[in-house]
Amino acid sequence: MEAVAALEQDAQLMLRVGEGDDTSFALLLERHRGPVVHFLYRMVQNQAVSEELAQEVFLRVYRSRSTYEPTAKFTTWLFRIATHVALNSIRDGKKEKGHESLDVEIEGMERQVADRQPTVEQEMVQNVKLREVRQAIEALPAKQRAAVLMHKYEGLDYAQIAAVLSCSESAVKSLLFRAYESLRGRLAHMA
Amino acid sequence: MICLTKNEQGAELLTGYLAKTLDAAGMAEVDRHIQDCAECRGLVSVWEKLDEFTAPEVTAGFDARLYARIAEEDARRPWWRRLLWRPAVPLVAAGALVGLGLLMVPRTHDAAKQANEMDIEQVAQAVDDLDLLTPIAQ
Repeated sequence: MEAVAALEQDAQLMLRVGEGDDTSFALLLERHRGPVVHFLYRMVQNQAVSEELAQEVFLRVYRSRSTYEPTAKFTTWLFRIATHVALNSIRDGKKEKGHESLDVEIEGMERQVADRQPTVEQEMVQNVKLREVRQAIEALPAKQRAAVLMHKYEGLDYAQIAAVLSCSESAVKSLLFRAYESLRGRLAHMA
Repeated sequence: MICLTKNEQGAELLTGYLAKTLDAAGMAEVDRHIQDCAECRGLVSVWEKLDEFTAPEVTAGFDARLYARIAEEDARRPWWRRLLWRPAVPLVAAGALVGLGLLMVPRTHDAAKQANEMDIEQVAQAVDDLDLLTPIAQ
């Protein structure tokens, strides 16, 4: 009983999902929907694809409800699934399909910006910056990209990222450092 | 101080600084260093530039779509599998097995007793047969 009490809240919720408590699943979804979708969005850079992949992640979580064992932090387990799904999607070339819509999305934003007279220049500069950052991240090898996104935007520590990517903490540190160095090279011209 | 990007420990210090996971002394040390090191300042600046990459809000129908997929998947599973995952079912199954086991125990005991009695009868019969055979042999 003590071991269960010591479990983090998310793991306890997941164990309750395994006992048939659907409210606990709704709570987990509420807490992690945003981070998972955002992580996947930055991985594949397409909103529709990222939401489709996030659905797959939560479906897998739901399917695993009766076999789930809290051997790691719930977020580590969740991001392991999300990373796996994202890397598979990138490998299978789903991203290629979404690429056009990414450009359309940015161009659409630029057109909207052009209609608003007072901040046209500022917003266009902002969009150019956004495009450059997105392209710099997209140019990273998939594993480096996943590591940077988990480190920068999702607040996962080295140990968690290592568990997600099935490598050592020192490998994660070097992966991250190489990724930031490469981003610095690509974004050096940005003011 | 040597540029932190030039060795592994420095790089670790720098990534810790970016993620704000260093203690106050570590943060202050890197703060002082980046004043004089353009390369490390460049890396800090990259971290800030990444803030530009915001993600859009999750669309309103996300949960509804997910629950629909879950319901669809549940409906596709055979009825016995749908029952299997429910926590009460393994308990009921375990109870039934224990009950069955308890019913079997006296029967098994009887069978053993019967087998024992048969063994004794067989031995007695064998001894009788020997007694019959003995005079012929003599």
